[in-house]
Amino acid sequence: MSAGRPSLGSLTQPDRETQPCVFEVSGVTKRYGEHLVLDDVSFWIPKGEFLCLCGPNGAGKSTLLKVILGLEKPDSGTVRIGPPGRTTERATSHEVGYVPQHKAFHRDFPARVEDLIVANFRGRWPYRIREQERAAADAALARVGGQHLWGKEISKLSGGQMQRVFLARALVTNPTLLILDEPTAGVDIRGRAEFVEVLFEISRSEELAAILVTHHMGEVARTAERVLYLEHRVLAWGLPDELLGRDDLAAISDPGARSTRWDPLPVCAEEHT
Amino acid sequence: MSWLLDPLSQGFMQRAFIAGMLVGGLCACIGVFVVKRGLSFIGDGLAHATFGGIALGLWLELGVQQAVWVALPFTVVVSLGIAYVLRSGRLGGDVATGVFFAVSFALGVLFLGLRPPEAPMVNVESVLFGSILAIGHADLYMVAGVTVVATLLLGATWSRLAYATFDPALARLSGVPVAALDYMLLALTAVVIVVSVKTVGVVLVSSFIVIPAAAAGLVARSIGRMSLLAVTLGVFGAASGLLASYHLNVASGATIILLLGFFFALALGFHTLRRS
Repeated sequence: MSAGRPSLGSLTQPDRETQPCVFEVSGVTKRYGEHLVLDDVSFWIPKGEFLCLCGPNGAGKSTLLKVILGLEKPDSGTVRIGPPGRTTERATSHEVGYVPQHKAFHRDFPARVEDLIVANFRGRWPYRIREQERAAADAALARVGGQHLWGKEISKLSGGQMQRVFLARALVTNPTLLILDEPTAGVDIRGRAEFVEVLFEISRSEELAAILVTHHMGEVARTAERVLYLEHRVLAWGLPDELLGRDDLAAISDPGARSTRWDPLPVCAEEHT
Repeated sequence: MSWLLDPLSQGFMQRAFIAGMLVGGLCACIGVFVVKRGLSFIGDGLAHATFGGIALGLWLELGVQQAVWVALPFTVVVSLGIAYVLRSGRLGGDVATGVFFAVSFALGVLFLGLRPPEAPMVNVESVLFGSILAIGHADLYMVAGVTVVATLLLGATWSRLAYATFDPALARLSGVPVAALDYMLLALTAVVIVVSVKTVGVVLVSSFIVIPAAAAGLVARSIGRMSLLAVTLGVFGAASGLLASYHLNVASGATIILLLGFFFALALGFHTLRRS
C-alpha cells in the first residue's frame, strides 16, 4: 500500500512455509502507451486455493489475465506456473484451464458438447473422437455434473449449461491452474446460481488452484478462499472474512473521496445475507 | 444414358465439368471457414481486387493472359492486408474487405488510365468474367494444380483452421498458430479466386464460396459434416448445373447459381422444419 492511503490493517496471505506455491506473478508491469495498466503486481497461489480477483472496470484485471495466459507480454516481471525452481516460465497449454466470458463465444458454430471439450484435450478440432478422448471428455463432464449434456448441440444450450461445458473443457486437461474470466456475466440468475454451486464443489473437493474474476460478490462469498483486490496495483490481498463488507475499501480505491464510484465489497455482504 | 454421355463426349463440356467440379468443391471447402468467420463478402471483394492486378499487368505492357501472373501476387497482397486489418481487431470483415476492394479497384482504373494511348485495346471483362464453357487446356491445368496444392494445405490444417474459426483466443491457448492460419487462409482464398475468376467468372466464384457453405451450415451439426456437405453441394451443383444448362440450352453459370440457390432454399426449409 502506498503512503497516504488508508490501511486495511493486517491481512492474511498464504504461508510459503506450509503451503506449496503452484502459481506466482512477480512484479508484473504493463503499459499501453502512457497508460500504466499493471503496476508491479505480485501475488501467488498455493496448491488447491481458490482466489477471487476483484476490482472496478478498467482496473487491469483483463490485462492481468492476458499476461497470465501468455496472450500479452508484460513490460517487466514474470509469471510462473508450477513449483518454484521450474526452469521455464511459459505454461504449456495443458497447464492452464481457461473459462471465457459467456458472451465472448461463437454460438452458431455447428458443434456438439464433446467436440468442444475434446478440442482442448487434443489441441485441434476433432473430426472423429477417439475412445481415449471420449473417456476424458466424459470424465470432465462428470466433474461439473454435466453428463446429461453429452451429444447436445452447443447452440441449444442455456447460458448456465454452456458455461458448465466450458468448465469441463477447461478441466479435461487436468490443469494446474484454472482461470475463470467473469464466467457468469450475461448468464441468467438460475444458470448463474447453478454454475456457482458447481464452482463451490470444485473449489472444496479438488486440489486445484483457481483465479475467478468476478463482479458478483455473492460468487466471491460462496467460492473464494482468498480475495485479491486489484486497481492497477494490488490494493488488498487477504481472506474473504477480512475483506467482505469492509466499507473502508472504497477509500482505498479512491483515497480521500470515500465516494460511491466503486464499492463492491460492501454489496457483497448484502448479497450474501 | 445419352443425357449424360452426349454432353460428356464433347471436349469443351469435359473441360467445363472438370473445372466446374474442382472449383466448386475447392471454393465450397474454403467457404466453410470464410462464412463461419463472417467474411462472406470476401469472395466478391478479392474477385474485384483481381481487376487491380490485371490492370497493373497491362500497364506493365503484359498481355491479358500474362497479366494474371501479376494479378496473383497483387490479390494475395490485398488479402494479406485484409487479414492484417482484421487481426488488428479494429474493423469488421465487411469493412476491411470493402475498403481494400474499393482501393484496389480504383488502382485498377488508374493503371488502365496510365497506359499509353497507342496501347492495344483490351477487354478486361473477358478476363474477369470468364466463361466456364470457354476453358482451355492451360486454364484447366492451372485450376487442377491449384486444387491439388490447396487440398493438401487444407487437409493438413483443417482441424486447426476449424478450431481457430470457432474461437481464435481459445485455439491460441491450445497451441494453434492462429495468426499464421489467418494469413494462410486469406492468401489461399486469393489464389483460388484469381485462378477461378479467370476460368469461371466472378459471380460464379462468389456463389461457390458462399452458397454451399451457407446451405450446409443450416443442416450439419458439426463443422466436419458441414465441410463434407458443402464440398458435395459445390461439386454436385457444378455438375448438375452444367448438365441442365446443356439440355435446356441456357447460360451455364446462371444455371449453376440457380441450382445452388435451390439447394440453399431446401436447406433453409429443412432447418425451419427441424426447429419447429
